[in-house]
Amino acid sequence: MRQPGLGPCVLLGAMLIAACPSLAQQAEEPGTPAEDSSPEHENLAPPPVPALEEQVLPDLLPEEQPDPILLLGELRGAVRSAPDRVDERFKLAQTLYQLGDLDAALDECRAALALAPETARGHVQLGVLLMAKQDWRSAGAAMKEAVRLDPELAQAHYALGTIHYSLGNSKAAIEAYRRAIDLHPDFPDARYRLALVLKVTNQYQEAARLMEEAAEGGVGQAQYFIGNAYRQGQGVSKDLARTIYWWTRASQFGQVRAEEALSHLRRQALTRDEHDRRRGEARDAFRRYREGLWELYPGTGRPDTDASLGVTLLAEGRADEAVPILLAEAYALSGPAHEAVARLYEHGEDGRVQPFDPRLRRYLETMASDGSVPAKKAAARMYGLGLGVSRDPQKAKAFLKGLPKQEVTAVLDEISASSRNP
Amino acid sequence: MTRSHPSLWRRFLQSIPLQAAAIGLLASSVAALSWTAAPSLLATLDWSIYDFWTTYRPMQPPDQSIVIVTRDPAAEELFGSGTWDRAVLAGFVMAAHEAGAAAIGLDHQLSRASPAQRGGPASDALFEEAIRTVPALILATAKADAPLLFDMARVGHLAVQADPDRVVRSLPASAVTETAGPFAIVLYQTSQGATAPITTGSNVLIHYTGDGTLKALPTLDASAVWGAIEQRDAERLSQWFGGKAVVFAVDPAGPDVALLPTGQSAPPLVVHLHALAMLLSAGSLTASSTAVRVVLTLALTGSMAALLLSRKRAAGLISATGVLLLYLPSAVGALAWFHLVVPIATPVFGGLLVLIGTTVWTHLTTHQRVRLMEQDMLRLQQEASAVREALVLHETRTETLQDDLAAARGAAAESAGQQEALVRTAEQLRLQLAGVQSEEEEARSRLAELERQLHSLRAAAMEPVVLGDAELERLQDECRRLGIISQDPALLTLYRDLKKGARAPLTVLLLGEPGTGKELFARAVHRLSPRSDKTFIAVNMAAISPDLFESELFGHTKGGFTGATSDRRGYFELADHGTIFLDEIGDLRLDHQSKLLRVLQEKSFYRVGATRPTTVDVRIVAATNRDLQRGVSEGWFREDLYFRLTGLVFRLPPLRERTGDIPLLAAAFLTDIARQLGRPMPSLSNDAVQALTSHEWRGNVRELRHCLEQAVALTDGLLIGKDSLRLDRGAATGLGRGKGTPLLPEPAGDAAVLACLRRHAFDMQATARALCWDRSTVTQRLKGLCFQALVESDGDHAKAALVIAGDPSHQRVVELKLMDYHGHLLSVIEPYASADEALAGCKRRFKNLADRHFAHVETLVRRYFASRAEGGRGAS
Repeated sequence: MRQPGLGPCVLLGAMLIAACPSLAQQAEEPGTPAEDSSPEHENLAPPPVPALEEQVLPDLLPEEQPDPILLLGELRGAVRSAPDRVDERFKLAQTLYQLGDLDAALDECRAALALAPETARGHVQLGVLLMAKQDWRSAGAAMKEAVRLDPELAQAHYALGTIHYSLGNSKAAIEAYRRAIDLHPDFPDARYRLALVLKVTNQYQEAARLMEEAAEGGVGQAQYFIGNAYRQGQGVSKDLARTIYWWTRASQFGQVRAEEALSHLRRQALTRDEHDRRRGEARDAFRRYREGLWELYPGTGRPDTDASLGVTLLAEGRADEAVPILLAEAYALSGPAHEAVARLYEHGEDGRVQPFDPRLRRYLETMASDGSVPAKKAAARMYGLGLGVSRDPQKAKAFLKGLPKQEVTAVLDEISASSRNP
Repeated sequence: MTRSHPSLWRRFLQSIPLQAAAIGLLASSVAALSWTAAPSLLATLDWSIYDFWTTYRPMQPPDQSIVIVTRDPAAEELFGSGTWDRAVLAGFVMAAHEAGAAAIGLDHQLSRASPAQRGGPASDALFEEAIRTVPALILATAKADAPLLFDMARVGHLAVQADPDRVVRSLPASAVTETAGPFAIVLYQTSQGATAPITTGSNVLIHYTGDGTLKALPTLDASAVWGAIEQRDAERLSQWFGGKAVVFAVDPAGPDVALLPTGQSAPPLVVHLHALAMLLSAGSLTASSTAVRVVLTLALTGSMAALLLSRKRAAGLISATGVLLLYLPSAVGALAWFHLVVPIATPVFGGLLVLIGTTVWTHLTTHQRVRLMEQDMLRLQQEASAVREALVLHETRTETLQDDLAAARGAAAESAGQQEALVRTAEQLRLQLAGVQSEEEEARSRLAELERQLHSLRAAAMEPVVLGDAELERLQDECRRLGIISQDPALLTLYRDLKKGARAPLTVLLLGEPGTGKELFARAVHRLSPRSDKTFIAVNMAAISPDLFESELFGHTKGGFTGATSDRRGYFELADHGTIFLDEIGDLRLDHQSKLLRVLQEKSFYRVGATRPTTVDVRIVAATNRDLQRGVSEGWFREDLYFRLTGLVFRLPPLRERTGDIPLLAAAFLTDIARQLGRPMPSLSNDAVQALTSHEWRGNVRELRHCLEQAVALTDGLLIGKDSLRLDRGAATGLGRGKGTPLLPEPAGDAAVLACLRRHAFDMQATARALCWDRSTVTQRLKGLCFQALVESDGDHAKAALVIAGDPSHQRVVELKLMDYHGHLLSVIEPYASADEALAGCKRRFKNLADRHFAHVETLVRRYFASRAEGGRGAS
């Protein structure tokens, strides 16, 4: 009987990524320097983009995959020509899985395991396929067989955690995730999963610690949840500034819930009710978040307490670093940063920042919808004057709706003048 | 039981409230117990009005303080057809919370962790955060004690209360625990801001909206709500959810389906949603508590029983049915106007049982009640008789004392020397007189009370006398078939009672004057009884030779006595399984009475000469024209036999009390006589009919027939005139028809006074009042008449008393008075040596007697002295 080689391992990694949404999501995220991912609780720097290599196990990295249909034909031919080749059968099973033919994939996987029953990763692959079929008990049996064959196989323990949880056995799930982390300490997703299970079983402190570690490891959902934990004081001390920090990082990973939560928080801060306690708390939190950004650049001189780090960096000619910082500050309700962003959007910066940058436009629209008056006026100008977008006076007026007349008169006059002299 | 507690049983039978309460209680208990036999049927009946009202009442607009978000195809495309990801549910919950929902309900089972394909622990964590963030979130669980993934979640169970007919009309209060109450109630309390623990005293009766399905409630599609959430359309979400109780009914429907009173079926969640809508709209229904149910049922059944017992049969039945029928619209009204659901099954079923049971009870106890009533009447009659006798004695004593007082006063006037002593005597007499008068008054009031009781008892006994025309005609026809010719309502009523009594095996005693048809009625008893196909033996007790009494009645064995040459069966054996009619039972000797009593008691006897008893099953019907009660009091009739015979007592009215029957009887007799004689049937002239009708007929129907036979025989033509009847003119005319006496002379005034005395039952005071006379004047007149009657009856007290009394019922009273008058007379004349001296004394003592009556006193005095002289000669 032939032993499986590296091929099944690679395929297995791809399947696990597919099975674990956070891993799959991370695979699609842009990368950031690896040094930024280290836990730095006091550091409220803009979110670093996690390095993909650090998020998944090295041996689970997917290879560059050819077209699955072409690959399927090739693999079927290979299996027909050499039915005893276990590797080819595992590859065929993987391809069928990718194409959604779970039953055929299971058949192939079982056929391969019949040829090489002592292949731990083969059993893992079978377990993953069965998980996809929601046959949790069979999947659990396959994973346990894999663990029996190779007790050091972290992926099997990780999958077992998921299976146990799906079967309602949280305690066993926790044990399985712990074992996976023990075997492979640099496994953020396992930490995230373990943190979730601990959270739903009311073990908040350990959950928060692991969640923050996973967040530092670049797991977007973990960043959202740890932000929530800081907001509610669940396992950690309440700290709305850190909430903003983690939600901002999560939103940069495309976490919609984090974006919505931030938007909600901004609305609270921008509410006109000056007696609203939550307004003051939110404004203070955004201020502390902005001040924390300065700590990322210790050598940068801070002219005054209201100064914008992004504006300072821009003045120092560090436009590449300045734009993300400016956006972070502007999203955190910094007036100077907003003015800089609005200006950058319209005029650009010496060729280093192009006018009408989509990131800046998105900022203006988001903030306008969140109720920021300067952003509303800037967005109204953008649509009223056709700055980087098709001219749409109605939409411009919609942005200005509800604002005091004296505040919108200048913008409306400008839009009117523009329409008269296109 | 009835023997050991006769007074209790008597009291129970005589008390309508007690009987009504007992019947009501029994019927209610049976109706309540019947739930165990047919719970489904009775539950359907019990809730029929609620079900009908829920189904057919005018449609009400759904309450707008509740909104239900439901699954729709578009949402299922988004989130799948199975249970949705808890992250999605958390999104719904958070959106409703931010939109200002007063309370949020979510139909979601939080018993298990989310599997990986539904978000796994990430979704669970999001859901946990939603639970933590939204305190007004209530999760619906299938059971109150279902396990929870998160212990901080507030839950409400979806248990429903199915009645025995499987229809769900209420939520169970029994399933309320400290941690989870009914979903609807918990959600309602949350929406109202109530923080108090759930306390519901009883099941919550549901006031369904519309047809009870989800469509009847305000709903929103989940896809529309999700669209608004994604578009961050806070205004629309606020419009939908602001201030309302929002329920997300987005879990796939489970297998449990509740049957609704409208005939529809719906998941338990929908039942709770209707309950929630009801609570929010303050349109709650109130179900009757157990205590109210018991009280209503007892009140209805008890009142129906009381009506049935207290009113006549048809009226009672109609009124009781009316009460029962009135209960149903009352129940509808209570529900429609007061939102109060009253019980139907137990009261109605109990009411029906009362209708049947009370009728059966009345039939079963009729004989006992009649018997008790007769016993009461007998007792009262006895008491009245005793009191009447005492009154007579008091009256007589009073009169005697008055006479003595008058004599003393006369003597005082004559002898001044003896004045003082005589005054003392007069004073003593006056005191005695006052005492006796006081006793008399007391006796009189006692008599009045007894007579009042007797009257009310008779009135109760005679209550069913009133008969309808149709009933009368039917009874008349039946009577005619039995040879009883009458159209008199009283006699027909008596026949109706006799017909009812004939079915029972009780002994029947027929009382009545000679010729009133006692044997006819005895035969009727036999023919109307279950023994009608057996033998009827009529025995005239007065006609049996005393020596042959036992042999005739009980039979004899061969050689039982001299001349008994063969075995012979007696009348009782001949009547075995049939009826024996013992006529003239009042003429039976005392020793024969005891033998007859043994037969009546033990139903067995010894033939003459037999050593083994013979047992028979015989229905006894006895008759007499004598006053057996008086016989008991006078000792010539055994009391135990009297009570043995008075199972059912019927007093046949004399013909003079039903003169309306005389033309009818006359026509029937004429037809019969003519047929017997082979002659054409003659007819009566108007004056003949008038004369017949006004005649006294002391011999009753028999005398009438004889009169007509005589008239037909002596009349040649076909028209019988008044003269042909040869009626005694004196008896038919005069004062107080039927109460005149041929033995008495007819001086002016005596007949009128006697008639008046008879009308007032020889009550001197009442008679004096009626005549506007002094009582002593009436007494003197009666005294004179009594002396006259004594003279003319040769000193026979009984005969003389009957002559004065006219009616045998007054004979005893008159006899007492007569004996006293005579005794007084004798006491006055006894001291004298000669008749002349005695007459002189009598002149003084009986000075108020009319001369015509004093002549009789003289006769009596002379007879007395003559007999004394004869007695003296005999002795010497």
